[in-house]
Amino acid sequence: MLFNKDRRLFLQTAAKLGLSAGALIIFEQACSNMVPTEEAVSLMPTSQPKLTPTLVPAQVIDSTSQTPVPYPTAGPTPMVGPTSQPEMAYPMNTPAVNKKVIDDPRVRMGHLLRRAGFGASKEEIDKHLSMGEAETISYLLDYDKSDDSEVESRIESLNLDLSDKLADLQRMAMLRMIYTNRPLQEKMVLFWHGLLTSGWKKVGKGPYMLQQDELFRSHAFGNYDDLLKAVARDSAMLIWLDSRVNKKNKPNENFARELMELFSMGVGTFTEEDVKESSRAFTGWSLKKKVFHFQENQHDFGVKTFLGNIGNYDGDDVVDIIMEQPVTSRFISRKLFEFFAYDNPEEEVIARLAKTFNDSGYSITALLKDILTSEEFYTQQAYRSKIKSPAELIAGTIRALGIESTVTYQVRKYMGPMGQELFNPFDVSGWPENEEWINSSTLLNRLNFVNAVAEGNRRHFDYDLVNMIDLKTVNETKDVIDHFVDILLDGEISEEEKGIYIAYLDGLLKGEDLQTGLTKDRLASLVYLVMSSPDYQLA
Amino acid sequence: MLISRRNFLKSTATLLPAFASLPMVFRRAVASSMLESSSYSSPYQNRTLIIIQMAGGNDGLNTVIPYTDSKYYDHRSYLAVSDEDVLDLNGELGLHPVLGKMKLLWDQGLLAVVQGVGYENQSYSHFESMHIWQTADNKGKLEEGWLGRYFESLKGMEDNIFQGLAVGKLMPYECSNLNAPIPVVSSIDKYRLEGSTQQRSEALLKLYSSSPLGAPYGVLLDNTIEAVYKSSEALQTADKNYQSDIQYPETSLSKSLKVLAEAIIGDLGVRVGHVKIGGFDTHSDQIVEQPALLQEMSEAIYAFYEDLKAAGRDQDVLIMTWSEFGRRVKSNGSGGTDHGAAAPMFLIGSPVVGGIYGENPNLRNLDKDNLRFTTDFRSVYSTVLEEWLGAAPEAILGGQRFEHIPFLAKV
Repeated sequence: MLFNKDRRLFLQTAAKLGLSAGALIIFEQACSNMVPTEEAVSLMPTSQPKLTPTLVPAQVIDSTSQTPVPYPTAGPTPMVGPTSQPEMAYPMNTPAVNKKVIDDPRVRMGHLLRRAGFGASKEEIDKHLSMGEAETISYLLDYDKSDDSEVESRIESLNLDLSDKLADLQRMAMLRMIYTNRPLQEKMVLFWHGLLTSGWKKVGKGPYMLQQDELFRSHAFGNYDDLLKAVARDSAMLIWLDSRVNKKNKPNENFARELMELFSMGVGTFTEEDVKESSRAFTGWSLKKKVFHFQENQHDFGVKTFLGNIGNYDGDDVVDIIMEQPVTSRFISRKLFEFFAYDNPEEEVIARLAKTFNDSGYSITALLKDILTSEEFYTQQAYRSKIKSPAELIAGTIRALGIESTVTYQVRKYMGPMGQELFNPFDVSGWPENEEWINSSTLLNRLNFVNAVAEGNRRHFDYDLVNMIDLKTVNETKDVIDHFVDILLDGEISEEEKGIYIAYLDGLLKGEDLQTGLTKDRLASLVYLVMSSPDYQLA
Repeated sequence: MLISRRNFLKSTATLLPAFASLPMVFRRAVASSMLESSSYSSPYQNRTLIIIQMAGGNDGLNTVIPYTDSKYYDHRSYLAVSDEDVLDLNGELGLHPVLGKMKLLWDQGLLAVVQGVGYENQSYSHFESMHIWQTADNKGKLEEGWLGRYFESLKGMEDNIFQGLAVGKLMPYECSNLNAPIPVVSSIDKYRLEGSTQQRSEALLKLYSSSPLGAPYGVLLDNTIEAVYKSSEALQTADKNYQSDIQYPETSLSKSLKVLAEAIIGDLGVRVGHVKIGGFDTHSDQIVEQPALLQEMSEAIYAFYEDLKAAGRDQDVLIMTWSEFGRRVKSNGSGGTDHGAAAPMFLIGSPVVGGIYGENPNLRNLDKDNLRFTTDFRSVYSTVLEEWLGAAPEAILGGQRFEHIPFLAKV
């Protein structure tokens, strides 16, 4: 899906150019005094691998644009301008792509547990720091060695109706994300739910969405061909993409098309004929008594021509042929890498991952291990390069603060308005990504969610903010800020931001000393501010 | 243009203690920007374009039905709508029977149908085709939405946060503009910051406009928080002042259009409003699914029109519908239709010269089972941009010139 990549690349790079929003303004001001020609645009360096000519949006060279703004390709080289320019305040030496590897173990661990899970409390991070990074990755990957009965009993104790109530399904899923001892498994369940998606609004009541959730959990780390074959037989999917009514002679193309476009190969890598032929291979893959049923008299046993192969194929054969396509290994490698690390990975990263995937017999575990142990994963390019999904924001917040919650309506009610009603995505493309999570409505609701957390109504968010900080350890306001920024932001903020937090807390304290002035309300206000900050929106 | 908006934000942020409440500051800014927009002159000043996206690929053949063509009945088996049931438009075409309210609009000359809309080398992927419609580019060269580029072109309007308003949960891609994200609202009720205090707001705005470490998406987040503050208060005010006797149906699209009506009647300065109705991807059960959606749409549009009319604003509002593609001419074996190509677009409202425009679909000359397009969708965009919004269409549509379609009354 090149168009999608390009768009993300564009937005991301534009955003990265504005490392400081203020600098972008100054930069634009500087640029508005010059009118670049097409030649000027062509002179801009394009040698950076991340920065292809697509970075120069068409409107830049559009002669009708009145104040054209040249988008510089970032990199160590300053932009080559054809005309004399006013001195630029924009820090041109700041590379947009920062490949510096994070060295602080605590920051690395925070990043790992956030990406390969749903974040962690300070105690958990301490625990994993003493385990070490390698051991922690093994713990995440070998998830079945961790006992997860506690989360099961939490779910059981609530007597949820997981067949007929969407809200209860959502509650179950959130409880797992928050309280699981197998965070990477749950992260993969969320990933598959976003990629191989189905939705309540069409699938409806019944055991279907729960079964699909269980399928993703049991196949979270397996081989991708097995997962695709299982998904092709999954009841929710049979309903969601109409396979159950896919009949001989007049096939229904819905599943076959999305199998290739959304699940395995990507748009533009197959023909309409491939869609028609593969949909014939899935005819008769139906549903009976709520489970998969091969309806022989509706299956087309004829010869099909699919992706250059000819044979009497059924659905499993189609999946096997899809797996042999070089685009498939690249597609799934890219999807996973972007989900865990950063967008628009370099070609060599994709090539390496695709090889890992193919050499391992399509193993998702092998891909995950490659990604989580790669140097790229721990670079500044990856760190805070993604927007937290609403599920990550909610689960991560509750985990980080060690909150007891049964995910009541007061917690769940923010999910939909933030854009992620679990088990009910907007359409067949699954969950939005990155900048799509941010608009005025979703951001407002993110802020309202963290406000509810900060207010900390015991029935919904049970935790003790005052006891989270040992007053004996704080001598000045800065210590309080450091304490909460450690818990919520890996301790990583700029001096400017720290100054804003200090001034804010000082403003609340109105001269009272810390030992008596740090009331619950004031701490709540501070924690709200940290959690509503732009940094906190980033994963 | 970004600059003055941003400078405005920064200057107010430093002036904050002098004001009683932050939202008031923003509200004043919104109002004054509307009054002071000197370069944005009549007759376009009060005009609004409403986009209704029919997501999933609406079956055009069962919306504007060629009921006099026997081929239609050959291809559609039981999905075909009987010639006795259609709402006849011109003795040749008829609306789906659930579109009764649209027929009322047609009878008043308020409905234009542009036939056979599409583009060269139709994409049958929902998302690629949507992207083509949203960027107004089938070559994959233009980034950002075509309406985002229109917003960019609105010089002198930069302080008007409401140049666009999208009702829904996500930013519609055609309206996307990183530097000036339009407000997105799903319900006015809940569109307010909880627990907001002046101190909090001040610190928060400083954080967003400071330079966080690494800060990808920093610009987007910074501009979006500004949109939050400016738009929530203004929408609450519009909502408080809104009074109407029109009963909107209890449907999602109706509620969305009502939000837009409130913003228009409340004079927030909305140039473009966007709403979306999904579910048109009718691979199965089309006989149930599509009519329900068409009816929801028809009734919502009618209530919206009536509301605007009662407020004396119907002359200022043009509605345009689009969908990423039509559906396969021949129905499939599961009571539905697969992805197709050309389909009709609707243009609705008092500014419209009602009628059928463009060539009717030719069911005897298909392109691999699909209808051939006869009108480039950008012809419709170009007409709307220039004749309705007073914008220069070439600049927005990638430098190309597209033939206009005379569906708008000359002022």
